[in-house]
Amino acid sequence: MDLLQLGSYSFTSRLILGTGKFSNARVMLEAVRASGTQLVTVALRRFNREQLEDDLFGPLKEIQGITLMPNTSGASTAAEAVRAAHIARELSGSPFIKVEIHPNPQHLMPDPIETYEAARILAKEGFLVMPYISADPVLAKRLEEVGCVSVMPLGSAIGSGQGLATAGMLNIIIRESGIPVIVDAGLRSPSEAAAAMEMGCGAVLVNSAVAVASDPPKMAEAFAGAVIAGRTGFNAGLMQKSGSAVATSPLTSFLGAKA
Amino acid sequence: MSSAPEWLTDERESAALAAMLSPSSPLSLESLAEESKAITLRRFGRTISLYAPLYLSNHCSSGCIYCGFASDRTTLRRRLEEDEIERELLAMKKLGISDILLLTGERTKRADFDYLRRAVEIAARSTQRVSVEAFPMTVAEYHALAECGCTGITIYQETYNRERYEALHRWGPKKDFLDRLETPARALDGGIKTVGLGVLLGLSEPVEDALMLYRHVRHLSKTYWRAGISVSFPRMRPQTGGYEPPFPVDDHLLARMIFAYRIALPDVELVLSTRESAAYRDGMAGLGITRMSIASRTTVGGYDDNSTEKGQFDVSDDRSAEEFCAALRAKDIEPVFKNWEPVFNGPSSEQSAEMKGKKLHV
Repeated sequence: MDLLQLGSYSFTSRLILGTGKFSNARVMLEAVRASGTQLVTVALRRFNREQLEDDLFGPLKEIQGITLMPNTSGASTAAEAVRAAHIARELSGSPFIKVEIHPNPQHLMPDPIETYEAARILAKEGFLVMPYISADPVLAKRLEEVGCVSVMPLGSAIGSGQGLATAGMLNIIIRESGIPVIVDAGLRSPSEAAAAMEMGCGAVLVNSAVAVASDPPKMAEAFAGAVIAGRTGFNAGLMQKSGSAVATSPLTSFLGAKA
Repeated sequence: MSSAPEWLTDERESAALAAMLSPSSPLSLESLAEESKAITLRRFGRTISLYAPLYLSNHCSSGCIYCGFASDRTTLRRRLEEDEIERELLAMKKLGISDILLLTGERTKRADFDYLRRAVEIAARSTQRVSVEAFPMTVAEYHALAECGCTGITIYQETYNRERYEALHRWGPKKDFLDRLETPARALDGGIKTVGLGVLLGLSEPVEDALMLYRHVRHLSKTYWRAGISVSFPRMRPQTGGYEPPFPVDDHLLARMIFAYRIALPDVELVLSTRESAAYRDGMAGLGITRMSIASRTTVGGYDDNSTEKGQFDVSDDRSAEEFCAALRAKDIEPVFKNWEPVFNGPSSEQSAEMKGKKLHV
């Protein structure tokens, strides 16, 4: 069985869904169901204990077979993310925490220094830490070293829909990583998700592309199919690309020639 | 008179925005709207975050010619006492409001820094997110507010045209144009996480103001790289004192400004208050605006009672929270009441001295 292994947890689905940006909780839940996902992320700041209609946590708890991965979006330092993780664990009961630390609330780029520090502390405390990072191969290894269960490099800027703009760096991260690499942010179309899976990603996380589609549940279904196709292709062994035709007079024909 | 900083007059910085706002721009309003909508959807999704103002006091020491609370108005002066603040907060909480903007006039003995700090402390106990729109403060005062749970400061320049500014602000501490201009930077130096900027449309030539406001945003973004920045587009409304705005901004120009700002600043929160009509706000939701006030009262207090006294200005969209949310939902937009967590409160990381002292030449 081809399972996504995150710490001691395993999943058959390799599509992770984000829950922000939807027009309402009902559409979000329909998309979650249609995607067949088993792991969804939800921002602590969107947990509304007053149980208003904009609460995302309550409705998600009701779906069977879904593991929640709270995220620390809104944190700008390691200390804030660690505090947020503690509250999120208490509220959700989930051992997962997606560490998202963006000191600039406009472009939401992850802070590598604070992220590393928070991940180190939280992994030590027993959390299953999934850090959102720039596509930086060295940082990815450093995070693996401190006990993260995956790394989540961005495909391109969050919400940009620019796809796998960081493909070159992602290839290095995937080749070198001993933990699943999950492309998070930037994916616009199902074909990009398939491409990420063909590269050898362990999973992809999608939010905007589904939430802002005209028909979010349908788009969730499309991503689910693409992720399966890409993963199956990866497992089946892709044909190697060839840059040019084979030369008719090989350059190495002199080797082994008789004198 | 000391001169204005270089960044304020650097036209290269705002060239792209100027092209979109120019009366001779070949870009149709409709094409700008389409691009603005697409960017907003990608970046912010189908959501609008909500907040509500709470006027703590209308005591004021300034002589802003256009304001209903200016010190020469005969308006009844009052401030909320601590128990009243608690009651107002409770009434707001019942409406679902968890993101609150506390307002006062210019600094006075009746509503000074200590009074404001106490109000922030009280609000932060029961509210997810607290911001302040009051008088300019020192870095140390901003830091103290941040420590009490204030995450945002709104401070409008009103107009960036210095001559107009000095004519409109007849007396009081607000008369100092450059001090006002430097206030958002002081707030950020003090650890405030988000600053809200804006001009009061109607006071001066609007496109000129929009371009300088943009340069202010860009200057702060470059200097304070952690800063959250939001921009508001308040238009003059009828108010006590009956000031007639000499540069009225019509619906089309305001729309053009909002779309152009969204295109030029794809990630910045753009705010539209209840100064605008219900139809205008509903139309703008999702086209560029990402943050709106709701069920606003512009009188001192006003949530816990049904007083009919005159506020700072007349609210145009006077729908209840429920009615407004229903209108958003009908447009497939989720009204978001809670989009913050108090665990993220506290002063932001200190800006390094190197960054602060650096003169930016770009």
